[in-house]
Amino acid sequence: MIAAINTEALLELMWAAPLAVLTVTVAYGLVVNGAARAADARRDGRGVRAGAWATVAIAGAALFLAAVVFGLIIMVSKD
Amino acid sequence: MDSDIILVIVVGTALAFDFTNGFHDTANAIATSISTRALAPRTAVTLAAVLNFVGAFISLKVAATVAGGIVDADLVTTTVIFAGLIGAIFWNLLTWYFGLPSSSSHALIGGVVGAAFAAAGSKAVLTDGLLEKVIVPAVVAPIIAFAAAGGAILITYRMVGRLRPGPVNRGYRLGQVASASLLSLSHGTNDAQKTMGIITLALIAHGDLTGASPDPPTWVVVSAASAIALGTYSGGWRIIKTMGSRIIKMDPAQGFAAQTGGAAVLLTAAHLGFPLSTTHSITGAVLGAGAAKRVSAVRWGLAGNIVVAWILTLPAAAAVGALTYGLSMIFGSGALGPLLISVCLLTLMAAIFGQRLRRGPALTTAPRET
Repeated sequence: MIAAINTEALLELMWAAPLAVLTVTVAYGLVVNGAARAADARRDGRGVRAGAWATVAIAGAALFLAAVVFGLIIMVSKD
Repeated sequence: MDSDIILVIVVGTALAFDFTNGFHDTANAIATSISTRALAPRTAVTLAAVLNFVGAFISLKVAATVAGGIVDADLVTTTVIFAGLIGAIFWNLLTWYFGLPSSSSHALIGGVVGAAFAAAGSKAVLTDGLLEKVIVPAVVAPIIAFAAAGGAILITYRMVGRLRPGPVNRGYRLGQVASASLLSLSHGTNDAQKTMGIITLALIAHGDLTGASPDPPTWVVVSAASAIALGTYSGGWRIIKTMGSRIIKMDPAQGFAAQTGGAAVLLTAAHLGFPLSTTHSITGAVLGAGAAKRVSAVRWGLAGNIVVAWILTLPAAAAVGALTYGLSMIFGSGALGPLLISVCLLTLMAAIFGQRLRRGPALTTAPRET
């Protein structure tokens, strides 16, 4: 009966799923963190610092968007 | 003539199941978005309904083998499918009444297993398939989602904990709109396919479709997509309330961690060919996001009730499926049994609905938008 369980996929899921969650969480955390700090820096008149945090936010957004697109590809291509 | 009537009954029952599936599972995608005010209630169900409808058209690789690998396909008749659907609808309505999230797919599998067991005995049930496709995923999904969402919220608080709450909350509310949309789309893709599969099977059995795995006709795709979208739009507010605010009171970051954690686990599992239940994953993620912040914040008694409902899903739906099949066969293998059962159930539901109307609005409504 144990042979019926796809243990390989199960074990892969054990590390791949948390890794996926971690990636998405960090990516979106960068978006929120970068955007909030960029706004604060801009208000304080620190243009360079604001630009740097905005770049962090954009990088996070790109990663988050890539994760969403990957999710959509999985949805469309699954059997 | 008999087979025509059975076909009409099975199609109607399948669409009724699809409708209950929609309103039962609305909570999975949008409950946390509503509770954190990322979306207004009516906007949330409208968004979920539209994306459920669209999702039904994304992939047409129909699961023509409903409960495939779990019951012997040669023993599945239209009457077995009808009885299985009644078992699933019964369980969906019962758990909705008590506001408990449970898997509609497991209810459908349970109903078909019970009906097939009643039709052909234990040889109809493939226990290896049951273990692989139902029992192991039911255990694995909430555990992984719990751990992943718990980790996600700890990382989130670490990253944004020292920032002003206003922009952080706004940011995570926006993120929740994206994750709710992804989940709704995924739900439409997964669950509308099951109804299409059932109707396609019935059409094959009736001789209207031929081939090993024929494409469903356009009317099947459109009607299944419409039924699940209408069900979603009607909103299963009882379960939305449970998932969104009764298990834990969550902030937008927790809502995002729960939704995104659940979605990431589901899609990773789908990518690895290890499909998990959306309900189990999202509920596990909601519990994880709550417990990681403060263990006592979670209403563990309610969580226990939900787990009991999960354990009972398969046997309860199976028992009703078997009973329905048995009752149907008293009247022979023709259309009379399913017809009488359908008429009795519709009459019973109309009587309950009428009685409820006399006491006030029969349908629970959306929480007031503030």
